[in-house]
Amino acid sequence: MWFIYRLTLRQLSGRWRLLITVLLTALPVIMGVVHTLVEDAPPDHDFQTGVVGMLAGVILPLVVLAIASAAFTNEIEDRTLANLTLTPIPRWKIILPKLLGAISVAAPMIAISGILTGYFIYEGDVQAIASLAVGAVVAVVLYSVVFTWAGIMTTKAIGFGLLYVFLWEVTLSQIVPGVRFLSFNHYSMSIMQAIDERRFADEDMLSTGVAIGASVGVFVIFLLLSVRRLRRMDVP
Amino acid sequence: MTNASDAPTNGALGSQDAVIKVENVSRWFGNVVSVSDVSFEIKPGITGLLGPNGAGKTTLLRMITGLADVSDGKVTVFGESVRNNPALYARIGVMSEHETVYQFMKGRDFVKMMGQLRGVKDIDNAVDKAINLVDLSDAAYRPMGTYSRGMRQRMRLAATLVHEPEILLLDEPLNGADPRQRVHFQNLLLSYASLGKTVVLSSHILEEVEQLADTVLLIVNGKLAASGDFHAIRAALDDRPYHVRVISDAPRDLASALVKLESVDAVNVDPEGAIVVLSRNVRDLQIELPRLAKASGVRVRRVEPLDDSLESVFGYLVDR
Repeated sequence: MWFIYRLTLRQLSGRWRLLITVLLTALPVIMGVVHTLVEDAPPDHDFQTGVVGMLAGVILPLVVLAIASAAFTNEIEDRTLANLTLTPIPRWKIILPKLLGAISVAAPMIAISGILTGYFIYEGDVQAIASLAVGAVVAVVLYSVVFTWAGIMTTKAIGFGLLYVFLWEVTLSQIVPGVRFLSFNHYSMSIMQAIDERRFADEDMLSTGVAIGASVGVFVIFLLLSVRRLRRMDVP
Repeated sequence: MTNASDAPTNGALGSQDAVIKVENVSRWFGNVVSVSDVSFEIKPGITGLLGPNGAGKTTLLRMITGLADVSDGKVTVFGESVRNNPALYARIGVMSEHETVYQFMKGRDFVKMMGQLRGVKDIDNAVDKAINLVDLSDAAYRPMGTYSRGMRQRMRLAATLVHEPEILLLDEPLNGADPRQRVHFQNLLLSYASLGKTVVLSSHILEEVEQLADTVLLIVNGKLAASGDFHAIRAALDDRPYHVRVISDAPRDLASALVKLESVDAVNVDPEGAIVVLSRNVRDLQIELPRLAKASGVRVRRVEPLDDSLESVFGYLVDR
């Protein structure tokens, strides 16, 4: 598995991909810095909610989409996936290192962005910063497993991911109450709330147990779906 | 289908068990049938999978490797289903037709990774051996993105050979190879097959297959058009017209005499003065021609078949 993990890290660390994702993750940090420098900035709570919402609801899924969907899409488009599947290793030992590779590239960027953003918007409050970072990493893991699966299901994973993020997570989960039970954004926000109730208290949140259970369930289900897909697909 | 499998073939093929069995295999994509009810067995030695582009060779090879599923029928390798059976890949080496490689990866690292993924024990020695076999030691530490097309193919072949598979499946492996590399490659495959291994080589270039293969499987329009030894296939096509070129000192006299023979269908004299005879019964022609020439007082200088290459057999089968 180590060889596939290392290969995936190298594949997902292309210059342009990293540049775009670093720029995206830098956005909330820059906003936090600007906010501390501007005297007549909007009230803290509104600003904090807006920036965290942008990081968790838009930037994070887009960054993970750009990275995780490529874990298999690139191999399929380049027709190199057969190098891995024509080896005597179980299919899960191909899926898991690919997924871990995607998480390993995305999570540090998102975590650093979360820590720096938290530092500026919460004025160094360690508990708030920790909750933001942990919640963001949980979301990275969940989005990664889904977008890795999408990458092996279709070469149009980016389109699927954009639809999912903007239609489901950004729009429907805000206006249809039941959708929050199937929203990664809500899972991660609920976990943030569990770590720091002062900052992230919201009546719309799920209980911590439901959020953790649902997160584990989503991870396992999409991991198994990916393994099943790799077993059944015609490898180009 | 023309079946020449009972005809004598090269080496000990007839005495060994089949390692690959393809039984009534079909594959369709929507309404398009790519492979239709194909059955054959492959034994150790070199087998050529031959057919024009789009004939279904690659689809068939992909089903044999387990990369693609069959729509109907069964493929077994060493008696086991190859699909969803990763353990078999420890005994199989596959080189697909696609030449894409990990551009950033050094050639040696690629071969090493493929060996490690296949559980090769003495990995460094195995990698050196495989790279030496393809004669690429000098370029082993260069990123594969800097390789020529032929070099990429050879390094991919090294990666395919690194675990010394019992079966080698190669799809259009000589694409991009220059003449010197072709000879090297052919010698390599011949020596590999002489170890009792099974090599399946797909190609649309008949010369390649003719020079290498003990057995030929001709795929035309998704169907097995013929199988067996090349020369046996040729002989089995008894209804096929043959062209024979005859050079003599009096071509017009000999041509007018030849046209009366029952074994001759048509006679032409080409601009160079050679007679081109079309015959469906070459055996009779071989007997009658010297007799006729002697009776006509014509000196025959040379008699040569014009279409004894695999190319002509193939062309005939495709046109039929």
